[in-house]
Amino acid sequence: MRCITTPENMLSPEGAFGGNPLFYWIYGLAAHLVPCWLAYVIAGLVIMLILINAVLLGAAIVSWGERRLLGRFQNRVGPNRWGPFGALQPIADLTKLITKEDIIPYGADRLAFTAVPVIMVSSLLVATAVIPFAKDVALVDLNVGVLFILAVSSLTSIAIFTAGWASNNRYALFGAGRAVAVLISYEVPVVLSLLGVVVVAGSMSLGDIVVAQAVPFFLVQPLAFFVFLAGMSAELNRTPFDVAEAESEIIAGYHTEYSGIKFALIQAAEFGGALFVSGLIATLFLAGWAGPVADWLGWLWFLIKTFIGIFLFVWIRSTFPRLRLDQIMAVCWKFLMPLSIINLAAVVLEVYFLRDASGTLSTSDLWIMAGINMVVAVVSIAFFGRIIRQKIRNSSRTMTASAPMVRGVPTIEVG
Amino acid sequence: MWFEQVVFWALAVVAIGGAVGVVMVRDLFRAALLLATVFVAVGGFYVMMNAEFLAVVQILIYVGAIAVLFIFGVMLTRDVRQGNTPNRLQIPAALVSVLLLAAMLFTAVTTDWTTLAGLGLESQSQIAQTQAVGIPDASSLAASGLSAQEVESIAGGGLADLLIGEFVLPFEAVSLLLLAAAIGGLALARGRGR
Amino acid sequence: MYGLEMAKGLLVTLTNLARKPFTTSYPEQRVKQHPRFRGEEFTWYEERCTGCASCAKYCPLGIIKIVTSPSETAPLQGDKYRLEVFDIELQRCMFCGLCVEACPYDALFMGSGFEEGQYKRTDLVITIDRLRQADKHPSTWFRPQLEGMDYRPGVSRPLGWREVGREGWRWHQHEKAGMRLTGSNTTRDSGDEA
Repeated sequence: MRCITTPENMLSPEGAFGGNPLFYWIYGLAAHLVPCWLAYVIAGLVIMLILINAVLLGAAIVSWGERRLLGRFQNRVGPNRWGPFGALQPIADLTKLITKEDIIPYGADRLAFTAVPVIMVSSLLVATAVIPFAKDVALVDLNVGVLFILAVSSLTSIAIFTAGWASNNRYALFGAGRAVAVLISYEVPVVLSLLGVVVVAGSMSLGDIVVAQAVPFFLVQPLAFFVFLAGMSAELNRTPFDVAEAESEIIAGYHTEYSGIKFALIQAAEFGGALFVSGLIATLFLAGWAGPVADWLGWLWFLIKTFIGIFLFVWIRSTFPRLRLDQIMAVCWKFLMPLSIINLAAVVLEVYFLRDASGTLSTSDLWIMAGINMVVAVVSIAFFGRIIRQKIRNSSRTMTASAPMVRGVPTIEVG
Repeated sequence: MWFEQVVFWALAVVAIGGAVGVVMVRDLFRAALLLATVFVAVGGFYVMMNAEFLAVVQILIYVGAIAVLFIFGVMLTRDVRQGNTPNRLQIPAALVSVLLLAAMLFTAVTTDWTTLAGLGLESQSQIAQTQAVGIPDASSLAASGLSAQEVESIAGGGLADLLIGEFVLPFEAVSLLLLAAAIGGLALARGRGR
Repeated sequence: MYGLEMAKGLLVTLTNLARKPFTTSYPEQRVKQHPRFRGEEFTWYEERCTGCASCAKYCPLGIIKIVTSPSETAPLQGDKYRLEVFDIELQRCMFCGLCVEACPYDALFMGSGFEEGQYKRTDLVITIDRLRQADKHPSTWFRPQLEGMDYRPGVSRPLGWREVGREGWRWHQHEKAGMRLTGSNTTRDSGDEA
């Protein structure tokens, strides 16, 4: 090889891409033929290509899997006509969507209208760059990985609002406004729960978080897991929080005016988002690629855990009725945010008291934390659930007690 | 290093073009979107200066919250396609802008931009750089020739130590400001009566 | 928010996952229709039909078209027309069954099938040839004599013209007006020939 670590020529491979075995292999191959900066670029591009393809294919597979799982949860078969077990259904859907007419409404802002699906898909693909699929295998292992994911996910709110505005349709604008309100509200409990994870792991880098999970974090911080699950369901606009795009809403929300390939891209961004968040749950809470047999089987454990995440999402979707918008806001601010703050406080206190001189936590410390946090979780969920229930009961009682009387007879039956 | 030059100039064109577009474009919504683009470009600049934490926080806060706020504000305004309505403050606004531009140019030109690395003080530059804007990477610090003690002190805390230690008063003042904003928002949202 | 009930709900869906789905996969399996199902086909017995066009008169949509001409052998064989056109327009039929109610000779029955979709609108008309060749599985709607016979349309064998009427079996022994055979595709029995 001509140049492997010459920092004067280019950014050092030890920095960002370092450690990724596929990258080194391609870089080694290419460095014989082309100058080293080009080899670096080529290696990076090849891995990016693999990753993008994997995510988009994964989005299609998730759409198929979700429909079949949803069917089985509802005592029916999912799509089973195209291919064995309906496995070619996403291809049929994609073909149908591509051959549809691409309508841009009259008076719409053409550039912004067209840019929205691009922003949604690209922000998703950029965010998948930091997820570790196996030991040392991530596109980049940023030392601010968690924050990077949060930052890139927040681009979705702009995209959704632009979609609503650029459609020149006031109902799409209302739907988009509601969706954005839900998104930015649910960023607060999600970020706070992730803070708990970062505090215990001691680092914001996703690779370090996986390594720090001698005990998986869904046991160590069950409150953070619960809040993250609920919060990300809302961020992905999934049932029970999908007031923005539900099938029973009168208009389809921010993607009312989208048809054809643009709609296909938005759906790809949505299902890809579900896949990505499942991967995130696997990494942050279920100990990522760590598994019993061997290190090189890490991708298999990662896949299995991602599937667990997707299964949880579909299970929740098939069970719970949709919440109204005011109920969604109440769940966020009155239920999830106090829970996440309690989790953060408990975790910080435990880490402060339990860590040893060099700042690390041992496995037994993690188990002690798990026990304490489980009790805290059960107590606080019960407590806050009771408060919410009292509020609803009280509000309905005051409503009926103040019913107007007509000829001495109350018009609404009291009690 | 030509690679960095290319990236810098690309980002600079995007940032300046976007900023000019924010002012000159008639459609207010597009101006808000261009503002978001400028924020992203500034985040790119931060990445180039080895401040990844600041870059990510920039995108998270500016694009994820402030740009959304701008867009909400634009949505609540009527007739945004026609741009600003003419008003009487154009001459004073132009005057103030020119004065501000002159002040910024004067500051930029007369400041000594020599970095510590240029002066041969690499280790000090590492400390100054990473403590101010980033969570440093221990291995890169160790590779740059600092002593073990210095690495420990930098990699151990960095930004968090500064915020809670040296700059705790501005930190608490900002949190008080946020509390005031939250209470103000609640008061506005309650409406009359009740 | 409603903790234990939520968990119970989740358990319900999970047990659904373990059960076999009760979907009938359509082209391979078909749902059994009940005997009185008013299907999209019509079962017509030409041997019983006299061409009186009561069905056409009763049809609220006017979709039955009957064109008859006097039969040459009519004075000999009794009062029966020769049917030239007997069209039922399926595209507008609402399958109310009034035509079946109207037929005084129990010649017209609703069918039991429901797979009458065609690719062209012009194919959605049942002509007399199709009526003659159709499978004779009459629905028991408005025909209590079929129900009394313990006949099930999807399962039992096709019925002949002597078995579907309200009259008793002895009546077939004698010559009666309107029970004569005319037209093609019919077989003559020895019992009722002049």
